[in-house]
Formats: sequence, C-alpha cells, structure tokens
Amino acid sequence: MSEASVAVGGHAAGMMEASPFAIPSKKLVMWLFIISDAVTFGAMLFAYGYVRNASPDWPHPFQFSPSIVNVMLMTFILVTSSLTMLIAVNHAKTGNKSMAMRWTYITVALGLVFAALHIREWMGMIGQGVRPFQNPWGASLFGATFFSITGLHLLHVVGGVIALTVVAMRYGRGRYTGDDIEIWGLYWHFVDLVWMFVVPLVYLLNVAR
Amino acid sequence: MSEVSSHAVQHQAPTGFIRKHVFSLDHKVIGKQYYALALVAVVTGMMLSWLMRIHLVWPNAPIPGLHFLSKAGAPGNVMTPEFYLSLMTMHGTLMVFFVLTNAPFAAFGNYFLPIQIGAEDMAFPRFNMMSFWTTFLAFVVLMAAFFVPDGPPIAGWTAYAPLSAVGGDAGPGEALGQTLWGVSIFIFCIASLLGALNFIATTLDLRAKGMTLMRMPICTWAWFITSCISLLAFAVLMPACLLLILDRVAGTSFFIPSNLVISDRLQPHSGGSPLLWQHLFWFFGHPEVYIAILPAMGIVSHILINSMRKPLLSAKVIIYCMMGIGFMSYMVWGHHMFVSGMNPFSSLAFSFPTLMITIPATLMTLIWLGSLYGSKLRITAASLFALGFLSMFVSGGVSGFFLAQPAIDIYLHATYFVVGHFHMVMGVAAIFGVFAGTYFWFPKMTGHMMSESLGKLHFWGTFIGTYCIFMPFHYLGLAGNVRRYSAFTDDFLVPLIPLHKFITYAALFTGAVQLIFLFNLVYSRFKGAPAPDNPWECTSLEWTMPSPPPFDNFGGKHPVVYHDPYQYGMTNAAGGDYIMQTSPEASPTGD
Amino acid sequence: MDSKAKSSAGMTTYYVIYVGILAIAALQVVFAYQHTEGAAMLARMLVLAIIQAGLGVMFFMHLRDEKRGLLLALIPATVFVLMMMNVIWSDSFRLIHMRAFPK
Repeated sequence: MSEASVAVGGHAAGMMEASPFAIPSKKLVMWLFIISDAVTFGAMLFAYGYVRNASPDWPHPFQFSPSIVNVMLMTFILVTSSLTMLIAVNHAKTGNKSMAMRWTYITVALGLVFAALHIREWMGMIGQGVRPFQNPWGASLFGATFFSITGLHLLHVVGGVIALTVVAMRYGRGRYTGDDIEIWGLYWHFVDLVWMFVVPLVYLLNVAR
Repeated sequence: MSEVSSHAVQHQAPTGFIRKHVFSLDHKVIGKQYYALALVAVVTGMMLSWLMRIHLVWPNAPIPGLHFLSKAGAPGNVMTPEFYLSLMTMHGTLMVFFVLTNAPFAAFGNYFLPIQIGAEDMAFPRFNMMSFWTTFLAFVVLMAAFFVPDGPPIAGWTAYAPLSAVGGDAGPGEALGQTLWGVSIFIFCIASLLGALNFIATTLDLRAKGMTLMRMPICTWAWFITSCISLLAFAVLMPACLLLILDRVAGTSFFIPSNLVISDRLQPHSGGSPLLWQHLFWFFGHPEVYIAILPAMGIVSHILINSMRKPLLSAKVIIYCMMGIGFMSYMVWGHHMFVSGMNPFSSLAFSFPTLMITIPATLMTLIWLGSLYGSKLRITAASLFALGFLSMFVSGGVSGFFLAQPAIDIYLHATYFVVGHFHMVMGVAAIFGVFAGTYFWFPKMTGHMMSESLGKLHFWGTFIGTYCIFMPFHYLGLAGNVRRYSAFTDDFLVPLIPLHKFITYAALFTGAVQLIFLFNLVYSRFKGAPAPDNPWECTSLEWTMPSPPPFDNFGGKHPVVYHDPYQYGMTNAAGGDYIMQTSPEASPTGD
Repeated sequence: MDSKAKSSAGMTTYYVIYVGILAIAALQVVFAYQHTEGAAMLARMLVLAIIQAGLGVMFFMHLRDEKRGLLLALIPATVFVLMMMNVIWSDSFRLIHMRAFPK
C-alpha cells in the first residue's frame, strides 16, 4: 500500500483537491486499463472481421457437440465466477475477511476450470488439424484468428487467476484492503465481458449447419 | 493506520546507488532517465541520418568504419541500397518512438507534471519505474537488430506489410531483425500504457489544494491530454504488433496476401491483407503524431507566457484546442493511406476531418502569434526555441493542407514533400519544444544555469540549418523526387543532386551545431553558474522549490494554490511583475 | 481508503442480472441456429452482446453506482475509438473483388 498513500494522507487531511471521480487512484487506473484493453480486444476483433470478410471460403466448423456445448459450459462457468466474485466483494465490504477470501478462491477455482475447458477446446481443434496457418475446411486464417483471439483471452484469464490469488493472499495478511479485492474484481468482470463478445463473434457466427 | 506509516516511508530518500540512480522510484530521476535515453536515441538516430545523407549524394564513396556497423551491409565500407533502408528504418523508429514520444512527454512529463500540480511523486512510483525500464528494454531489443547476422529491418518505421510480414525472403534484415523490431515496439506499447495510466491518475488525483483543473499550467494539460491519447492509441498498435509477430513466427498470414511471390518463391502462407496492417498501424500512427507534438505545444505555451510576461489571449482556448486535436486525432489516420489502394470513398471521409483538424491547430497558432504582438518578449535561448517551434509548426503545417487532399497527395505522397512535411511539423517542431524545455528547466533539474550565449548560438545554427535541410525537401518533392531511393540515378533525378548535396552539407552542419548543445549540457551540468530558485520569474509550482528539488519535492508539506499560472504583467507586493501560484496575495485579475 | 461508491445493488439484483446475462447467452445460441445470414445475424449477435456487456459494466462493475462523470469519461471515449475503426470495412470487402486468382 505504499503506492498512492501520499494521496491518501493528503486527501484525508483536506490538503489536496478531491479526485473528480471520488474513487481511489488504483480503481481509476484499473478502469483506464480496462478501456485500453477493451480497445486492444476491439482491434483484434476488427482484424478478425476484416480477414473474415476478405475470405470467400471462411469455414463454419463448430459442431453443436462438442464445441458449442463446451462453449456454453465455459460461458456458464465464467459468468458464475463473476457472481462469486461479487459475493467476495460484498463480503470484503462488510469486513468479513475469511468469507471474502473464500469466495475469491472459489472464483479462482472457476477460472481454472474455465482455462481447463478452454485448453480442452483447443486440443480438440488441434486434433482436427487446425493450425495457425491451415485447417481442413477453408480459409487458412481461420486458425490464426481463432487461436490469437481466444489465446489472448485465455492469457487474460490466467493473468486474472494469478492476480486474484495474489490479491486474496495479501488481503488475508492485511497488506491489501477490501478495495483491492473490488478493483481486481473489476478486472475479472472485464475478462467476462470480453468473453461475451468472443463467443458470438468467434464461435456462434461459425457454427456448422 | 498503516497509511500513516507508509506515508512516512515515502519521505525517506533512498541511499544506495542502485535505488537512487538506477531503479529509482523518484519521478525526477525517472524523468532524467527518460531524457538520457532520448538523448542516446537522438544522437544515434542523427548519426544514422548523416550516413544516409552522405550515401544519397556520394553513393559509391566508402564511409570509413561503416563495415563495423554491418559487414554485409557495407562491403568495402560502401553502403548497399538495402543497408540504406536498414538505416532509414532504424532512424525512423528511434526518432519517433524513443525520441519524440519519450523526450517531450515521458521525460519532461515525469519530471514536472507531479511538481506542477503540487504532488510529491507520481501516483504509482513503482509503475513509473517499470515503465521506464520497460522502455529501456524495448530500446535494447531494437538496437539488438544491429548485432544480429542479417542486420536491422528494411521495412521502414511503418513496417509496411507484406514486406515486414513474410520473413527472410523479403531481404536482409527481414528475418530476425524485423522480428526484433516487432517485439521492441510491442514492449514499447506496454511501457507507454503503464506511463499513460500513471500520468492520468496523477493528474486527476494528486493535485494540491486550489489546483483546480483549469489552474493547471498548459504544459500539464498537454501531458495529461497526451496520456489520454496514448492510452487508447498504443492499445491498437499492441495487437497490431502481436499479429505481425505471429505472422513472422507462428506462420499466420494476417498481413500476407494470396499468391504473393517474393524472391522467386511463392509465399507459403496466404489469405491476409497488407492493407489491414496499414489500417491498424495508422490508427495508432496518427494519434502518435499528436503524442509527439502536443507536449511540445504545452511546453512552448508555458515558456512563451513566461517570456512575454503576459498571459496568452486565451489559455482556455489553447486547452480546448488541444482536447479537440486529441479527439480528432482518431478520425484522420487514413490520410496516410491515400495511395495504399484504400477505398477512394474512405479517402474522402478521411480528407474532411484532416482539414478540420487544422482548425484547432490554426487557432492555437493565431493565439500564440496574437499574444506575441505587442509583448515585451524576453529573448532567451528557451524563448528563441519556443519561437522557432512556432516557425517550424507553421512552415511544416502549411504543407499539411496540401497533403490532406487526396488529389494532391496522390502526386506528393511518395516524394520528399511528405518527408519534409513531417520532419518539420512533427520532428523538428517537437525537438524545438524539447530544446526550449531543456533551456528553460535545466536550472531546475540540475541546479546550474546553462550558458545563454551558447544556447543562442545553438538556436541560430539549428534554426537556419533545419530550414536549409527541410525546406528544399518540399521543392524536391514537387519536382517528383521519390522517397526511399538510396541513390538518384534516373534521368529526372540527376539534376536534383546538387540540391541534395546542399541538403547533406546542411545536415552535417546542423548536426555539428548540436555538439554545442551537448557541450553546453555537460559543461553547465558541472561548471554552470548556480541556479537561483526562480531564474525566469515564472509563476508555476516547480519554481517555488530549491534548484534542484529535494527528494520529496515540497518537503513533506502540501502546497496551496491560489492562482492560475498566468499572473504576469502586474505589480506585486515585492515589486515584481508576476504573482506565484502559491502566493496568497490577491491578483488584480481576480483569478 | 474506503471507496465512496456504495453498492446500491444487493445480491438479489446480482442474481437477476446473472440470470439475465445467461439467458441472453442462451438466446445467442438459439439465434446461431436460425437460418439467418450475414449482416442480420451479426447485428443480432452484437446487439445481444452489447446488452450483456452493458449489464455487466453497469451492475457487476458498479459503474451505475459511481459518479456519473466516470461513466461519461470512460464509455464515450471507448465507443468513439471503436466506432472510428468501422471505416476499415469497405476495404475488407474490396479485397474479395480485387483477388487476381480466385480459387
């Protein structure tokens, strides 16, 4: 908590101008990071749309089972993990430390399940012969966009899992406050939001008929 | 009360060498580190430009020692055309990313933004340290391209695909060198993102009491707006670099079209679009232009107000114009792509906002010039460079009106006209802002005055020299002299070689003049006259503290601000013609 | 440094939003198997995803409870930048017609 503590001291004593949004600096930075990252994912999805439009033989390989079922399961788990995160934040706000930690760890566990399902999905695709440069069905860029977009999202999930674990541990030791749980919760929800765009655009637009 | 204890920790200056000078958390040290990195980059980039200029006019002349830089690129010390392109790529990349982004924004911003708003440090000192060292890592990765077997990339600082995407087939430097370029810029994006987050949080959250947003100096505003731009602009370059790296190492083909034959080899990966790279790159690239120029605008406004001893006609309008420019910078990127094969209707859609964006720029220029009218300008090295900035900005900006229109741009785009345009309006103008800032803030940063007479000499040499270099570029471009040629052997280009020789002499002369600056910088650092707290009689907060500032800036106290920083041209209690921002005495203007 | 934002939404609201987001996700799957093509399909998917994201941002991420200024600072800027990228679409379609050697 050494960072931004100067601001805290100054704000508390009324010696500084109030922050215009009345939120801690860390939370502001998290929000700014989130919009920046949203633009990053946006650019990835725009690039995907661009090459998809430009390819006359874009494949529609996703079978209802196993792919779409798996994706629905993944969505369910990720949205549920957002809910458990909210429970953790609520407990952190009321000062119930052990419950806040417990629900954060449940969120982490759900994140790990999500990552495992994600990797299963990837293995399935790789097993069918999908590579970043080729696939059995059509436009070679299908694999490139699939792996880069879902891979970037998977990286964010893994990053979130690590971050939440560290934050929960430090929160337990008293180095972090409930605010930090809430701030990293924002990140976790953001990862969830990105998935809400990845599913329809990457999977559902390409379902096999 | 853990906050109180950590509050106290913040005030202890580190003692070890590493913590004090290398991995320092102090924004002032980090600012100087950025400045030093920019200095190394600018000297390297300038030397590369000399090599290029010499090769252009004496293409077969050996340059002694060149083979040390690259054996394959300079057999017998004579530069190959490919190596010319390598040098051009490195020159552009170094200058745009590591000089124009770092010096006016990260270096001066880090040093003076927290001080000017009355903060003890940035909001996140550790982040700040990380952003510098990440930038440094990016620099090292980029420079490593000189030392890999096939040398630096040849695709230009814009790394146009498919040249940049296909790998070793595309020429020397396109194997490992281009990959290093992509990795370097990717890392740079992360560093800029960290920096931008920190700047925004600091500006919004750490202002001293009374420092309302409209009381922040114009340069603080400029750094703030710049960080808002870079927050979202680098966010687009990052995935673009990621896709480029994937194209190069993972066999994807985002930017490689079908049926592409390079070096008699059908490229194995296909189906992508080179135009996509240009879109993603310039979506970042145009905001980047304003990331380079806005801080210079802010610094120059700050120095002009101080030198004129009167406020600008309207500081508010300047700030709103900068916001307008920042906003519109996302709408105009396509004007870099008029000749790219982009949809001509898009060209129309980009041309209009490009002409629109000149309105705030013109408004700002008119305010600066109008404010200068009738002022008793104090002629210092800093104010001369500020005036030089105006001159460069106008001269370079006027050609922007030409280039904004597709019909004219299609003729001029691939010529030296564009090179002259962006060197003047973005390159030299921003560098003049950095010079002005250096002469202005050097006493505060080091505690020593710089030599004014050497500074003025440096100004006139640089000012005349840069005009001699870049004005003829426009004539060359109108005469049809294409860019990126390493030698001019075509019939229509041969008559232009004398002018090119003149430019080369001017470039070498201007480069030599910079030695005066480097000497002044080093000499004054150690032997310069001791600087008083407020040598320029300036009103903003950095001049309330000793030179150089102590570790914790305001000695653990929170300053209180009573005025905006434009309180000049009156008589204060002590008989001066200005009122400090922290002075509680009433201002005649009431601000 | 307690955040000023009070959580006006209790857990009940969260459960409702949670079910809502999942229902929209299910609706997307249903739409995916209707025989709609091209732009109409994309529009449905995007509208539903934006509703989901809006619910997530406003309720899960508490943007509704923060000062209005934060929303006005963040969302329009992001949407504006993403909207500007739409200029690239015409070029993406052009590529098909410019293809020299169709497969």
